[in-house]
Amino acid sequence: MEAMTQSASATGEEDLVASEYLTFTLGSEEYAIDILKVQEIRGYEQPTLIANSPPFIKGVINLRGTIVPIVDLRIKFNLGKIEYTPFTVVIILNVAGRVIGTVVDSVSDVISLTRAQIRPAPDFSGSFDTRYILGLATVDGRMMIVTDIERLMTSADMELIDDASAAS
Amino acid sequence: MAIDMSQFYQVFFDESAEHLAAMEGLLLDLDVENPDSEQLNAIFRAAHSIKGSAGTFGFTDLADTTHILENLLDRIRKQELGLRAEMVDAFLECGDLLREMLEAHQGRGEVDAGAVAAICARLRELSTDQAREAAVSQAEAAPVAHGLPARGLRVFDIQFVPTAISAQGDGVRNLLDELKSLGALEVLAQPDAGAAAVGYWQVRLTSDVGQEAFADQIDFIADNGAWRVLESSAVGQSDDSGFGFFDDSPGAPEADAGYGFFEPLEQPSPANASSSAADGDGYGFFEPLPTAETSEVAAVAVEEGDGYGFFEPVAEPVSTPPAVAEEGDGFGFFAPLPPVVPEPPPVVVEPLAPAVVQPIEKPVAEPRARASKAASAAAASGDSSIRVSIEKVDQLINLVGELVITQAMLLQTATQMQESAPERLVNGLAQLERNTRDLQESVMSIRMMPISFVFSRFPRVVRDLSGKLGKKVELKTTGETTELDKSLIERIADPLTHLIRNSLDHGIESPEARIAAGKSPVGTITLKAYHQGGNIVIEVGDDGAGLPRNKILAKARERGLQVSEQMTDQEVFHLIFEAGFSTADQVTDVSGRGVGMDVVRRNIQSMGGRVEIDSMLGVGTRMTVRLPLTLAILDGMSIAVGDQTYILPLSYVIESFQPRMGDIKTLSNQARVIQVRGEYLPVVVLHELFNIKPQSADFTQGIMVVIDADGIKAALFVDALVGQHQVVIKSLEANYRRVNGISGATIMGDGHVALILDVSAIAGMAKSSVQKAG
Repeated sequence: MEAMTQSASATGEEDLVASEYLTFTLGSEEYAIDILKVQEIRGYEQPTLIANSPPFIKGVINLRGTIVPIVDLRIKFNLGKIEYTPFTVVIILNVAGRVIGTVVDSVSDVISLTRAQIRPAPDFSGSFDTRYILGLATVDGRMMIVTDIERLMTSADMELIDDASAAS
Repeated sequence: MAIDMSQFYQVFFDESAEHLAAMEGLLLDLDVENPDSEQLNAIFRAAHSIKGSAGTFGFTDLADTTHILENLLDRIRKQELGLRAEMVDAFLECGDLLREMLEAHQGRGEVDAGAVAAICARLRELSTDQAREAAVSQAEAAPVAHGLPARGLRVFDIQFVPTAISAQGDGVRNLLDELKSLGALEVLAQPDAGAAAVGYWQVRLTSDVGQEAFADQIDFIADNGAWRVLESSAVGQSDDSGFGFFDDSPGAPEADAGYGFFEPLEQPSPANASSSAADGDGYGFFEPLPTAETSEVAAVAVEEGDGYGFFEPVAEPVSTPPAVAEEGDGFGFFAPLPPVVPEPPPVVVEPLAPAVVQPIEKPVAEPRARASKAASAAAASGDSSIRVSIEKVDQLINLVGELVITQAMLLQTATQMQESAPERLVNGLAQLERNTRDLQESVMSIRMMPISFVFSRFPRVVRDLSGKLGKKVELKTTGETTELDKSLIERIADPLTHLIRNSLDHGIESPEARIAAGKSPVGTITLKAYHQGGNIVIEVGDDGAGLPRNKILAKARERGLQVSEQMTDQEVFHLIFEAGFSTADQVTDVSGRGVGMDVVRRNIQSMGGRVEIDSMLGVGTRMTVRLPLTLAILDGMSIAVGDQTYILPLSYVIESFQPRMGDIKTLSNQARVIQVRGEYLPVVVLHELFNIKPQSADFTQGIMVVIDADGIKAALFVDALVGQHQVVIKSLEANYRRVNGISGATIMGDGHVALILDVSAIAGMAKSSVQKAG
């Protein structure tokens, strides 16, 4: 799975093997992430603040006894209106052996994408580093940004992991 | 082998480690002068079990080393050898190496092959040394009895088929080495592929020792029944036709005495034969006597002797055989040899061999059966416990923690319903609360282990160190059954070892100095553990010289530390925990480099504990370590700042009060201080530190909490005190990262997360802010 999603140049039969992706919206953009990285989806609850943390780290919540940090990607990427309603959704991710929650506007769908459907993204500069983008895919006329969520969450930018472990 | 052994490796490692620990404990307990045979047996059993399972699992290095150890132990156990202090040392060292090997097999560390070889050689030497001594003493005794020297060599034809495991490992090679060390070795037949193949081996050993000296080794690498030893003949020559005493045969290198070979003598003398056999616990070789009467006697004799008897027709009234047999350990060899044995040794008595083989197997098998019976009895009497992985226990603890939180939430909901809650629901919830609390306690107790797990290693430390330092020290321990959390047990061992080493090196004086001071030359180190409140207290005390206050002060000044004569003893003594501080005049390899005590304090603090020192010059020193019972639970005070709740570990809180107007002063208009009981303390305003909007920024509306983190005091300003709880500590770093000023998180009764304050860090921040201002 890992190898498949990462080696963009792979061709042949592998291109036909479809993987499932969870799509969610941040503002007007649609993102797709590998569904195997998703542990669960739950409603937003007020987290406990962590002092002196960057604004996109909302705090920590108690997820059945585990302390889970909550990241608001909308704040991180300056997307959409930042409001917390009963419909605000938190995707609980299981990446790099850690459990991390991300706030998104809404979860839309689970889609199947083959390797061939994921086109390389053009190089552009913006808040969202292209390093974390595996490619772009079009489904029903909508563009999905296929994201390497594990790489994103463990990156130094997210400040979720101690420098020592982020460096590795 | 159809079963995959590797799945049992962990069990083997655990068990072997336990056996090693048991062995070490027993060895330390052992009275060298007068060893208790039960203890010796237990030590032997431990070694035997390790060897057995190591062999089964194919860890040949472990098995081989233990085997040598076991051999020596076995001889001591059977009282063939006397126990000596240096043997105990060798055993302990061997135990250490075995532990290293175990670790190495688990992928941790490496084994020093040289050290292993050295200890094997030492053990072998110890075992042969004594055999030689015994032999010599016997040789000395023999001439007294007969006025003639006795010597001899024996030739064994050894045939065996090694097991696959030992053939692949070093088993066969080791065996051959071992045999070579006993005498001249000649390989008559071996499998084609050389030393590493399974196949038929035949070797011939010419040696002065008995079969039992190597029978075990062979049995070890070959299955039962897949080996046999035939004694071919005695080598020797007579230089006196009347009395057969053999000098070394020319080709025989080993000239060690002790085993007499007696020539066939002329008149049969059953009486003598029987008496010799009955008396001797040695090993004689007796052949069937020509007459029926005598063979009967011989048979009886075999039963009576506890050795392995081979009785050959004793054909002469001799006073010598019984005498030699009575000497004990020797091997009498009575053979109807022709008066002169020709030079090429092995050939002569070959026909003898079959007769010899038959009877020997039984007696050999019997003690082994006894040993295994004893071992299984020991196993059966072991306490009925099960081995469970720590993760499973932790999972259980987590689940129970969840249950407690859920239960608290339910209770809170019911309380909010007040009157409208049905009585049965309220009662049920009260019952649930009791049950969950009991459940939590019993689950927590699974992780609790007696502190004897740590204490048991110290007799060894004290023994080794006091020997090295030339001091006489007695270690007294009390409260070994005091229980504390397993994770603490693991982490307290190093700091405690350090404290004990320190007491030994700096505290206890040399025997001469002690006598001069009017004390007993034997110093005492006391190790005490007990519960006090929610803490466990471990005391390391010595009756040594005590801490020299003036010397510490002088040293501190030398190092540029800020000290004054007015400091209390406690404060002065605490200086020894400063990094790089040492009052030892000489740096030894034990301690005195000034590293260590600061590490000790840091380790203990990281466990949420603290160290205190009491000392009186000339009387002794006592270090008291206070630790929380468990790392998982903390006594905390919940405080409110803005809309957030934080937990302050209760052990750091000294007092709290509401400040009055004007109590708070500023230093250069930046840092604030407050006077508490005549002391100016830096003020840490928590909402400023954490950037939280407070309920009120007015000092008179909030509460000052005085905290003391390892001598650094500060006043923490918070909005309100909420309550006192026992909280379950959860890691913040598991899914997030370290946060400055926060040591962890916990889950409150309502399911929310509350962060636990890192008091040391906060006090540090206060100190630096004052220093910046000043």
